[in-house]
Amino acid sequence: MRDFLELVVSATASGCVYALVALAYLLMTRPTGIINFAVGEWAMVGAFGGFLLLSRFPIPYPVAIGLVLLGMFVVGGLTERLTVRPLVEAGAPPLAPILALLGMLVVFRELISVSFGPDPQPVPPAFGFGRLELGLLAGSHQSFFIIAVTAVVFTGVWYFFERTLAGKSFEAVAIDRRAAALMGINLRLVTALAFCAGGAVAGLAGLLVSPNVSAHYLMGLPLAIQGFTALVIGGVGRVEGALLGGLILAFVEQFTVRYAPVPPGLAMGVPLVLLIGFLLLRPTGLLLAREARA
Amino acid sequence: MKQVFLMKARSVLAVSLMALAPLAFAQNTIRIGMITDKVGPAKAFAEPVAQGAIFAARELNARGGLLGRQIELLVEDDQGKPDVSATAARKLVDAGAVFILSVSLTPATQQAQSVTLETKVPHLTPSNSGDTLTTQIANPNFWQTGPLASTQIATLLSYARNKNYKRVALITENSALGQLTNQFFKAGLEKSGIQVVSEEVVPGGSTTADPQMQKIRASNADALFMTGVTVPENALILRAYRQLGLKMPVLANYNLSIPVYATIAKGLLDGVVFVDAFDPVKAETRRFIDGYKKDTGTEPFNLHGYGYDGLMLVADAIRRAGSTDKDKVRDAMQATRGYQSVMGGIGSSYGFADGRRTGFDTNGMVVRVYEGDLQGKVVHVGQK
Repeated sequence: MRDFLELVVSATASGCVYALVALAYLLMTRPTGIINFAVGEWAMVGAFGGFLLLSRFPIPYPVAIGLVLLGMFVVGGLTERLTVRPLVEAGAPPLAPILALLGMLVVFRELISVSFGPDPQPVPPAFGFGRLELGLLAGSHQSFFIIAVTAVVFTGVWYFFERTLAGKSFEAVAIDRRAAALMGINLRLVTALAFCAGGAVAGLAGLLVSPNVSAHYLMGLPLAIQGFTALVIGGVGRVEGALLGGLILAFVEQFTVRYAPVPPGLAMGVPLVLLIGFLLLRPTGLLLAREARA
Repeated sequence: MKQVFLMKARSVLAVSLMALAPLAFAQNTIRIGMITDKVGPAKAFAEPVAQGAIFAARELNARGGLLGRQIELLVEDDQGKPDVSATAARKLVDAGAVFILSVSLTPATQQAQSVTLETKVPHLTPSNSGDTLTTQIANPNFWQTGPLASTQIATLLSYARNKNYKRVALITENSALGQLTNQFFKAGLEKSGIQVVSEEVVPGGSTTADPQMQKIRASNADALFMTGVTVPENALILRAYRQLGLKMPVLANYNLSIPVYATIAKGLLDGVVFVDAFDPVKAETRRFIDGYKKDTGTEPFNLHGYGYDGLMLVADAIRRAGSTDKDKVRDAMQATRGYQSVMGGIGSSYGFADGRRTGFDTNGMVVRVYEGDLQGKVVHVGQK
């Protein structure tokens, strides 16, 4: 029982990280149709932001989070302005910005690799490396912190889309770009803000996970794959889908390793089997978008 | 008019000579190729090894070079990819390299051997530890001086002999070298009659090692052997070990000897036993550390020593061969005995006796124990 409950906390924390990366994908994909595989590298940049602000030039944690969010908001916006918008305005095929962003993935990774070197860098956790026990549940301080921050982010994003006029305009663009434009919604602004928000959320995911995995230049790709898998499981249409997908993925990963009678090498393939299964059997993911529910 | 013409002609001649000077330099140098990983998964390890080799070349050139000629190090990046590594080896052979050093992943070095086997260009890896590099291909032009994985486990077991472990757990990650090291550790343990009761893998990119460490905790193993070679996953393992309150002794492969753990796994290292091939007290090692610090202003560690030893060993073979003829250099390298290396414990040396092509002294590894976050003194040497 102790193992089970410890693993619930651990899997929830990992699932929250995957969910944040999936949310970053979703924020950009919903209104624009563009899949940005560089989100993993953005998470890496966020992690290195944490290294700079918390390890090298230590400042209070809340200020560091704010600065990382702000910095990644700008990185997201600049990426859109420099690589996506010129292609969209030139009438390039839909695949072109996706490929350009794949190129940016390499640019971000090499910039970090050249700037910080190949060695992993330490990022301290928000409340130290201790263990916290809440009744029967037990886990690291950072695990509980990740869960709490993710809950706040998802609540905020859900509120934005469901309860605010600006959020409704994003939803309108997601449902029908042309109709939204005819209604006077500024598509260019929505696209730019989608990338800014995607950058901030991905950077936050990197910052939160970095005390566990350290900040290193190869950390982005696994996060991009895990986030994408979570997105496919949960569905691209709804914010809650990203959270659900992240949690399902992490629980399947960790409970398979712990309890399934499969060799350790094969357990690693289970999430990929899950991804393929969803793509084949339920490509829309678990939660359908609003127009599909109507 | 004639004077003006002569002046112009002299100027043209001078400029031409200046332009041709580097070419002339290149023709008079001894070219040694080095294949390294500048962007791929081995970069973190390959970079310091390459820096050690570059320092060695600089030191040799400052002393007058080799056979009266300067050494020119030609560096190629294989990105840790086997196919690219073979292409890089071909490029170095075409560029006139008389010897090739491989400072990349074990599979990449394996693939580069296909070129040196065919072209007969002498080839050495100073840092790879895979046991199979000299056994899977019968390449008489290839040597290995990195400490083998089997030597690491034998040294650790020698140290742990009086601990009387019966049941142990193994944990690794899924890189090629991590898997290979794990395979040789497992073989060494089973050969010693020790039962492996739990064997776990933490995949690269994991965000936790909790489920794997829970299984190890449930296995009630007497000790835990860490065989992975990637720092983030090893740090995850150590973090989970502390968080989950495991108490069994931890014995780790040489990867735990690199200094980055002092920052990445700060507060998690106390009592971890690890094998190393670097004893800062050894005279050759001390001399290397002082020279490197003086030259570069930075403190070297064990990985730099591998690269330094590699290039110095190559230079030694060329010197003994008296030429850069590849047959003579190959024979000289194979004849190496008692080479006083930076790496290895006190009294150990490199040599390729009895036709072997693995040069690291099987009694040359040392065992050290972390004291807090600092690497403690040598507590055990060799396999005796």
